[in-house]
Amino acid sequence: MYGSLIGSPLGDEFAVLLPRVRTMIAVFYVGLFAMSFDFVSGYTGYLSFGHAMFYGTGAYLVVMAANGALPLVGAETPFMTLLVVAALLGAAFALLVGSVSFRLTGVYFAMVTLGFAEVAHVFIRNWDRVSDNPRDGAAVTSPDGFAIGVPGVEDLQWSIGRLVGDSVENAFGLGIELGTAELSYYLIGAVTLVCYLALQRVLHSPFGRVMVAVRENEDRARAVGYDTFRYKMGAFAISGAFAAVAGALFAGYRRSVAPSSTFDLFVTADALLASIIGGFGTLAGPLYGHLFHETVGDMLTTESGGLARYLRETLPESLLTADVAGMEVVAVVNVLIDGRAELYLGLIFIAFVLFVPRGLLGTLRDRLGGTVAEAAAERLRRWSP
Amino acid sequence: MSALGAALVSADLLLQGGVVDLFSGLVGVVLDGLSKAALFVLIASGLSLIFGLMGVLNFAHGSLTMIGAYLGGVVMVVAVTGETGGLTRLVLFFLAIAAVFGVMTAFGAAMERTIIRPIYDRAPLFQILLTFGVVLVLDEVARIVVELRGMQPQSDWQAALGTAPDFLAAWYEIAGVSIRGLYLFEVLVGALVVTAIAAFLTRTRYGLYIRAGSEDAEMAQALGIDIRQAFTVVFGVGAGLAGVAGVMLMWDPRYGASVPLGVETLLIGFIVVIIGGLGSFKGTVVAALLVGFTDATMTWVFQNHVSFPGLPEMVMFLVLVGVLVVRPQGLFGLAEVGGH
Repeated sequence: MYGSLIGSPLGDEFAVLLPRVRTMIAVFYVGLFAMSFDFVSGYTGYLSFGHAMFYGTGAYLVVMAANGALPLVGAETPFMTLLVVAALLGAAFALLVGSVSFRLTGVYFAMVTLGFAEVAHVFIRNWDRVSDNPRDGAAVTSPDGFAIGVPGVEDLQWSIGRLVGDSVENAFGLGIELGTAELSYYLIGAVTLVCYLALQRVLHSPFGRVMVAVRENEDRARAVGYDTFRYKMGAFAISGAFAAVAGALFAGYRRSVAPSSTFDLFVTADALLASIIGGFGTLAGPLYGHLFHETVGDMLTTESGGLARYLRETLPESLLTADVAGMEVVAVVNVLIDGRAELYLGLIFIAFVLFVPRGLLGTLRDRLGGTVAEAAAERLRRWSP
Repeated sequence: MSALGAALVSADLLLQGGVVDLFSGLVGVVLDGLSKAALFVLIASGLSLIFGLMGVLNFAHGSLTMIGAYLGGVVMVVAVTGETGGLTRLVLFFLAIAAVFGVMTAFGAAMERTIIRPIYDRAPLFQILLTFGVVLVLDEVARIVVELRGMQPQSDWQAALGTAPDFLAAWYEIAGVSIRGLYLFEVLVGALVVTAIAAFLTRTRYGLYIRAGSEDAEMAQALGIDIRQAFTVVFGVGAGLAGVAGVMLMWDPRYGASVPLGVETLLIGFIVVIIGGLGSFKGTVVAALLVGFTDATMTWVFQNHVSFPGLPEMVMFLVLVGVLVVRPQGLFGLAEVGGH
């Protein structure tokens, strides 16, 4: 699909507009992280501002375990086991943080979770067990890739990773050829899908109903007999577990971690952006929100296929060297477009908070009067004979 | 066993080193703590004022401090040449503070009118989200401008640091402890600003409005106070104070003007304001002293006993978490402010 569009006469334009496979992999693991953030923040109304600590926990677990720096989980532990360990660890940390934080509400809850995350951030930047230079993080030293697949079945396991990932020449005898990027895409996508379905299941259970009740009116939920503290703790633990899985996927694919890419406040900001743009309080929304984020980021990247490169190559020379307020157009393009995604995303984010508080998916659902799947089925039924 | 041994050895060292070392260590911690407390109160006071009256936790406060640092730096770098005397530099510094305060106050007031005002009716969550969006934009704009001038946004602006007069940059010996003149100057500026804010709150009409509005905004409005205008003024003054803090930090080699300064000071501001109790200026001052001395003590412990560089920061956050657990509304805060 992607290949055919790129090969088309408008290929250059598509290259600017469409996300690349490599980008889509990031959409999956960050999207899963954003979903876990939205799971607790969007559904219970408690803004978990330190969510990056759970993501970082999962990521550091994978890299440190692979380097043999941790007890109990040695370097030989299969990746699928690490994912489960990451989930358990994430849930445990969430319970620890939640037991203190859920004594507070509103702004104070956001602050104290941020406080915990910063303690973890400072700790991980200075923990000499991570690597010789913990400020720069750590990388996996062994050359083996992390394998995703059916546990215990050697033939149904494939490695992920940009350089060390497997590729399949003839998948299931169907003549489909998958490169390393495509295979990683499907494997990470599969894990993300399983996690999404699990979270969706929780939200549609009686437990999920109580979470929404806490968001809408916690006093009333307590008055009708629910022990809201335990429900909030449960939701936070589930959220922390899946955030850690997302972090583990990130580390498994990228094979290196740094404090700035895991425990940082701006990692939580990524989840925040994705949730608000995609739709706060809709589980699938954050994934689309992050897809939007990455697409804008891709368009404004400094690498090939970006908008700046496209403009530089496509616009006529006379226009590029023309003056705008004393500067050449090409200089303006370089300064205002090249790698400036954060600026525009920030503006878009503010606009969404002010004018589209329900986000893309939430607004779409409002328009359709139900979830997209339900409304689409309804419409199809109307058209069928 | 080894821990006991280490304790015995250090106790032994203390006896051998004599009381003099301990005393000078104590003086050093006190001076360091005072200078940090002065900086922290500068950073946090604007945040505290805004939250006290409006219930808005302004995430963009750190970014406003960062922009203030750059603006103050611009004034100093343009006005100061190699021959400028120390006293002239000091005068210029206070002019820079006044100028930055004016510019940032106008900016803050404009910000309140355009984007903060529409969301007062919504859940507190949206105020956090909105001001956080402002952080993303301001940081990136600062990065663009700084890069356009051919400077490195991540590292401190050395040219601005260099405009401090020699008698402030020099080290002085006080009771066996050497301390930079600038740190004593910071204590002075901090005391000045605290006095000014206290006078503003207790002696002016707007101060009265703010205190009345913090107690009960609806009642104040019913009594004929234009609370919307008060909101605009307070948000402006809060932003202006953030700018003043930035100008002070621009001279301090421990901080310096850089883009990451925004998040760094934001977190400090949160710690101080929350420990003190959101909305209580007295609490903010006390908390700044508490956090400043914690920072100074832990820095001393790190330099002398423990080889963990992140110790001061980590302990500061642990104090925050501890206070929130024991007294969620902070030391001097009112219980009903800031919740749902």
